[in-house]
Amino acid sequence: MSIRHRITLLIILSVFAIFTVGGYSIYQARINAAEVKNVTENVVPSALATADLVSQVKEVQLVTMALISEPDANLAAQASEKLAVSKAKLKEGIDFQLAHAADKTQQGLVEQAKDNLSEYFGAIDDTVKFKLAGQADLAGAAYYSNVVVLQRELQQIVDTLRIEKTREKDAAISVLNSNLSRTATGVAAVSAVLVVLLSVFGIILYRQIINPISRMQATTSEIATSQDFTRRVPVKRLDEIGKSIVAFNMMIGKIEENSLLLKQKTNDIQTMLQNMPQGILTITQAYKVHPEYSAYLETIFDTREIEGSDFMSLVFSNTTLGVDELSQLEAVAGACIGEDAMNFEFNKHLLVSEIEKKMNDGSTKILDLSWSPITDDADTTVRLMLCIRDVTELRALAAEANSQKRELEIIGEILAVTQEKFHEFINSSLRFVEENELLIREHTQQNSDVVTKLFRNMHTIKGNARTYGLKHLTNIVHGVEQSYVELREPRPDIAWDQMTLMDELIAVKETVEYYARINEFSLGRKGPGRRGGIEHFLMVDRQQIVETIHRLEKATSGNLDELRAAHDAVRKTLRLLGTERLVETLEGVFDSLPELAMELGKLPPIIDVQDNGYVVHNQAGGMLKNVFMHLLRNATDHGLESVEERLAANKPAAGTISLQMDVNEGMLQIKLGDDGRGLALAHIRNTAMEKQLINPEDQLSDEQVANLIFLPGFSTAEKVTEVSGRGVGMDAVRDFVRRENGTIKIQFSDDKVGADFRQFEIIVCLPEALVESVEGFEFHHQHEFDETLLEVATNDAIVFKQA
Amino acid sequence: MAKILVVDDSSTVRDEVAGFLKKSGLDVATAVDGKDGLSKIKGDPGIKLVLSDINMPNMDGLTMVEKIRGELGNSTVNIIMLTTESSPSMKERGKASGIKGWIVKPFKGDAVLESIKKLAA
Repeated sequence: MSIRHRITLLIILSVFAIFTVGGYSIYQARINAAEVKNVTENVVPSALATADLVSQVKEVQLVTMALISEPDANLAAQASEKLAVSKAKLKEGIDFQLAHAADKTQQGLVEQAKDNLSEYFGAIDDTVKFKLAGQADLAGAAYYSNVVVLQRELQQIVDTLRIEKTREKDAAISVLNSNLSRTATGVAAVSAVLVVLLSVFGIILYRQIINPISRMQATTSEIATSQDFTRRVPVKRLDEIGKSIVAFNMMIGKIEENSLLLKQKTNDIQTMLQNMPQGILTITQAYKVHPEYSAYLETIFDTREIEGSDFMSLVFSNTTLGVDELSQLEAVAGACIGEDAMNFEFNKHLLVSEIEKKMNDGSTKILDLSWSPITDDADTTVRLMLCIRDVTELRALAAEANSQKRELEIIGEILAVTQEKFHEFINSSLRFVEENELLIREHTQQNSDVVTKLFRNMHTIKGNARTYGLKHLTNIVHGVEQSYVELREPRPDIAWDQMTLMDELIAVKETVEYYARINEFSLGRKGPGRRGGIEHFLMVDRQQIVETIHRLEKATSGNLDELRAAHDAVRKTLRLLGTERLVETLEGVFDSLPELAMELGKLPPIIDVQDNGYVVHNQAGGMLKNVFMHLLRNATDHGLESVEERLAANKPAAGTISLQMDVNEGMLQIKLGDDGRGLALAHIRNTAMEKQLINPEDQLSDEQVANLIFLPGFSTAEKVTEVSGRGVGMDAVRDFVRRENGTIKIQFSDDKVGADFRQFEIIVCLPEALVESVEGFEFHHQHEFDETLLEVATNDAIVFKQA
Repeated sequence: MAKILVVDDSSTVRDEVAGFLKKSGLDVATAVDGKDGLSKIKGDPGIKLVLSDINMPNMDGLTMVEKIRGELGNSTVNIIMLTTESSPSMKERGKASGIKGWIVKPFKGDAVLESIKKLAA
């Protein structure tokens, strides 16, 4: 039964109770009213009538007496009439009592009174007859002997009746009273019973309503306290409250579900925060670190004191950031936190994304920072989130990848150079470095000769490195060479400092050794290759051997011509072993000239090589390259004129540099000449005077002037640039030649003695052993630049074609 | 079109900010200090957004803002402060005066243009 039904029932019961009490009261009242009516209409009036009866009896007696004693006959007649009225009244009274006799006693008394009344009235009538007849004495006697006696009897009966009637009236009133009292008690009792019943019913209903609500309230409080959402309120009935409890339990179920979900999510987030290898923190309005942060943050900052710490000092202390940057960062944080989200957009570009932080253990960490706002429903930034990644290792890896990339590039550079050439390059470079090391070590003070020597050696390394396309090394050597150039110039701010110079030199040495290591270990090209132990071993072209053997086998032993031919072939092959043509030796140098020429606004020179059948032993290759790189580049730079000048002098636009190799008087001679403007003797003289190498009054022959260029420190070049490689002194070239027990000289090829410019050849003499002569192997080669790569622009300038 | 008032005592900053906004097609007025700014706003109800420096002679930016809200009873004009620092007291005063935002100098127009256009609309 539902609560509604129960309350309705309670109301119905209450109404029923009210009606019951009312009905009962009305019923009782009705009964009582009949009683009262009986008493008031019968008992009381008849009782009162008995009192009248007494007075009526006396009235009759008094009237009778008055009549008897009346002397006047008229008046006596009138009294007789009056007596008749009184007698009628009395008779009427007795009849009334007869009609209203309540019981046999009363009835008996009334009948007795009636009987008596007849006799009484008879006696009175007799008496009155005597009187009216004038017989007063008789009348008197009759009166006293009959009337008075009968009157006394009647009087007695009427008194008795009156007493009886009074007793009856009192008894009736008493019954009436007791009835009323019983009614009141009955109504009270019924009311009391109903009140008790309704109370019991109400209490039961109350408890049925209140108890489950109290239980629900208690459970709610317990759940709120314990956060134990698994609890439920027991459902005992399916009334409205039962249904409310079911709904309440469902709600708790939902909360439990959501709380589980929330718990799971919180747990997930906590797990992430605990395990992700990334630092995450949020910054509160007070610029402090919020208690929820990722555990890895402790690893990154190497501290456990993170919660509530000042984020500026936690993250940015001991970093490379300056005071101004720090204050700006703080201002940005202040402008964002607690403000509308757009402020973050305004200012996020000022938030640093990478810092270098010095840690307590002395190490330096590189930290990558990314910032984001945490906003609430009102789009206000409540906290700033900062994700921190330790990218130290990543950067190191990137650096390593860079170094690997560099190594690969270096490998590419090395592979473009043959093994023996590379080996020779490394050895010569280390030799130059060693020389420089000694020079630096031995001199505590600046000395221009020493600087010149340092420069020359470094310049040679650079020239060779560039020739072989070893770009990384070239760059480093160029840097060192530049500092030597600066030392050469009188600059007060640059002083001779052994330490610095040594450091620079070590950088070059390490780079050279790095190249050597890559060659040796990464490429497995240890040693000098086929030139190793040239005195003992030769590397031979397999094809040559195959052809030679084939030729020998083909030769018939009886045929002298065939045998001679085979002999010649074998001899030739054997002599050619371990040699190369001069053009092969100098190929790298030739290839480097076009670029230089173009830079100087000249056409790439044609190189005319006449080797007269001589080939060069591989071991001489390095020296020849060093020497002729300088000579060829100097010829291109100083000797050959610009296109305009050449065309004006009726010369071909492109210049020609010629190389002739021959053996003369037991010496190998290599002559280098060009069709340029000749040797600038006047300029050389002036420069030598400027450099105080000669005095103005000195009388020098053209040859003597020409030889000035071999003096250390004489260089007509204005400056050294990375690309051109100009400016090395001829003293360096003479040094190379002398090391091989050779000589170098200038020989004029015209007869314009004393002229400012004179045509000349440079003659390099070297031991004959450096070459082999092979009959029929003469070679004339014109090394020309690929002209298709050039084009003549509209203004007659010659430029490289656009790629 | 709604107008933007740029208030800064430094002509460099003023020219830079106002120049950028003008170039972006916005209608811009300038004032050299808080007092000037206050009178400009009083005289031109078309001004919908104020970009103001804080430290200025005669009247500083925050005082100007308080007067805009108080003396002028102008509660609708949007206000953004240009600042180099941030302190709790500054922020409190800003909040009380209904300041919309803080732009930390140096001013970078691209970062703020969209929001400024919205606030000036």
